[in-house]
Amino acid sequence: MKERGLLPSLDDSIAEIRRISGGSSDVLINRFVTGDIHCALLCCEGMVSASVITELIFEPITGIEKKNSPGELFHYISEELLLSTDRPEVNDYDTLFRLMNSGFAVLLAEGMERGLAFGVQGYASRGVQEPSGEGNIMGAHEGFTETIRVNMSQIRRRLKSPELVMELFTKGSMSCTDMCLCYMKDRVPQELIDKIKSSLGEMDTEAVLTTGYIRPFVENGSFELFDSAGTTERPDVLCSKLIEGRAAIFLDGVPYAVVIPRLFCESFQTLDDYAFKPYYSTFIRWLKYLAFLAAVLLPSFYVAIVMYHPELLNSTLFMLLVEAEKKAPLSIATESLFVLLMYEMVREAGVRLPKPAGGAVSIISGLIIGDAAVNSGLVSTPLLTMTALAVLGGLVVPELDPQITVLRFAFIIAGGTLGLFGISLLACAVLVNICATEDYGFPYTAPLSPFRSSGMGDTAVRSDIKKMQDRGFTVEEYHE
Amino acid sequence: MNSISKYQLAAMLLITDIFSLFCTGGSISLVTLGGMLSAAGVQFLMTLSFTQYGGIDTKGQKALLLVYLLFFGGTLFSSLWRTGSAIYIPYEKSLGLWGRLLTAGLIALVCLYSSSTGIRAVSRAAVIAAAAGLLCIVIDFGSAVLNADWGNISRPEAHSYIYEFMRGFALSGGLGSFYVLTGKIRGSRSSAAAMYFGAKAALTAAVLLTALSVAGGIAGITDFPVITAAQLSQPFEAQRIDSVFLVIFVSFAVFAVTVQVMTASYLLKELFPGFRRWRSSTVTALIIGAALLKSGRELILMRAAALAALMLLTVLSTIKNPLPEQADR
Repeated sequence: MKERGLLPSLDDSIAEIRRISGGSSDVLINRFVTGDIHCALLCCEGMVSASVITELIFEPITGIEKKNSPGELFHYISEELLLSTDRPEVNDYDTLFRLMNSGFAVLLAEGMERGLAFGVQGYASRGVQEPSGEGNIMGAHEGFTETIRVNMSQIRRRLKSPELVMELFTKGSMSCTDMCLCYMKDRVPQELIDKIKSSLGEMDTEAVLTTGYIRPFVENGSFELFDSAGTTERPDVLCSKLIEGRAAIFLDGVPYAVVIPRLFCESFQTLDDYAFKPYYSTFIRWLKYLAFLAAVLLPSFYVAIVMYHPELLNSTLFMLLVEAEKKAPLSIATESLFVLLMYEMVREAGVRLPKPAGGAVSIISGLIIGDAAVNSGLVSTPLLTMTALAVLGGLVVPELDPQITVLRFAFIIAGGTLGLFGISLLACAVLVNICATEDYGFPYTAPLSPFRSSGMGDTAVRSDIKKMQDRGFTVEEYHE
Repeated sequence: MNSISKYQLAAMLLITDIFSLFCTGGSISLVTLGGMLSAAGVQFLMTLSFTQYGGIDTKGQKALLLVYLLFFGGTLFSSLWRTGSAIYIPYEKSLGLWGRLLTAGLIALVCLYSSSTGIRAVSRAAVIAAAAGLLCIVIDFGSAVLNADWGNISRPEAHSYIYEFMRGFALSGGLGSFYVLTGKIRGSRSSAAAMYFGAKAALTAAVLLTALSVAGGIAGITDFPVITAAQLSQPFEAQRIDSVFLVIFVSFAVFAVTVQVMTASYLLKELFPGFRRWRSSTVTALIIGAALLKSGRELILMRAAALAALMLLTVLSTIKNPLPEQADR
């Protein structure tokens, strides 16, 4: 849409609005006379609150005494009536539609080449609820919602410092999605903010519907298995990231914030770690590291050891496995891939199916895969146990689930074809890939490599809060 | 090339040296340890002048280094093939030469990918690999010590001190990369060299003493005493863990070759700026070609002589044309 100034004639202006909107039914145009001047109040149905618009706009505006000119009328409304706290001016049809479609009511008057907009948003939205993906025991039970302003207020409520900056802007030539860049200006490196703004400046998508639309622009362009920009749906977690000098991007319509940069070790940290005693938090953290390794490597090690390196097993275990595997008709690698594929199908079905059908999925997976496949001898019990343990390990670190899923398959294929040699080769390639992952000069593997001893207090262990409180840590310490 | 820390440099070079140590063939004794440690000491002294005032600036130096790196890269692949009889890679024996080439090809593929990510990524990964490898070595050799016969330490030497010194000198093939990479490190180059040689001496002593105590008694009939010592480790009554050694061995091989490919590729770029694409692939192909020429021979004397010549030329060049601006930063 070309930026075109508002027409002075109210009739012509309304005709132009109808033309641009294609006569869309949800564009409401209320014509009235006030102060002896012909006016029109425009809004989008469903985007504004009917009660608010009646009480705060129509009632005071229709009782205005006669004014000599539309300019005087606008000055009176804008400077004396104070109908809304948010009253931007409208000078062109592009802005008019953007504001109207964001829940503003726009007042036009005969003879005026500008309009007045009033923030009277009243669209239906989901309230603040407990986050579904980032469970927490001791922390707050509030998560982000789809409304960007609500998300901004949740952060502001927790960080009352004036150093917290929130910059609103829009992206998407069709969707005109509201976005917000959020950071603590005394903590974040200015260079990082400039680079993020520059990257977002390159965005020219038609719509921004989920975080996946902006991540490629704020992540390193090279092939990376792991995400160098993270997401969170918890305001408390985001606050801790902002204090550590990270930047965040909110997206209207998405209950997640994109956090830049993200580190590998953060996938193993939760806010609960800081609620429990350090010894227990450290134990839980190491449990997660082990679970991650088991999730990726356990099935492949099982396949490689049983197929090529049985000397690694003690005799009792070896005989047990021989007994179990000799009944299975498929090779161990094929069997393993088959079981994992079955699991992935069941998982995907569970996620996509309507909730009432979820029970059916559980029954089918439990009975058919868990029972019938083993009883029929199609799958051996030890292999099913290994696969189940690996899957369980993956569920401990849900943030890394996509990477774990793909790597698990790749390692099984490597272990099945080349044994431990293949696993070692693939492990080297994956290790290099992880170490090559960085965002705006922040290495994903910090503080492990490059090693920063100061970061170990919250990575290898979870130190006492008393020790960490004076640290003044910001993520800039990891910049290379 | 981006800058790296002295720890990252040390990790990359130590991986290369420890891999060479794993592949060391023939009998070992206390004289071997003495020869290797004194060779490391001499090499440290020879690199000191370079770390203070030296630099790889002339085309001749770069070309010489490139040839050496290709030669040493070939040595690494050749060592990998030579140890094929001791290290079990599933398909290798059944496929003969093709099996060896397949092994080399797969390693080369990973090396090519690794080198494409840049020196910073590889150096970060090398630190993690070195730490994990060190842990595995401690477990592997630690459990080997349970079966050690410390009387083997004093077994008579099979080779002269001069030979062992040569063997020790040849072991530090990674020094070619050292000359290239020291120009890229942050901080003092001398302290980086001191750290690398110190860690190398400690690791060499620990590995050799363990290998000597465990496999010293059968050193005469074993081809690769260090690998044999790792394979003899048995922490539990009915279980062996020598396959775990394969994981360290392969990881170290990958990083050792990657470092040679990266540094050689960098020198190739410096020598022929117009040669942009396929540099790493060309270097890898040349390295495999060099390995085929060596056809599994250890060539200790030749390796030691090549490295000594390279170091002497570097020392002479530094004395002749010192570069004060290249001193410790």
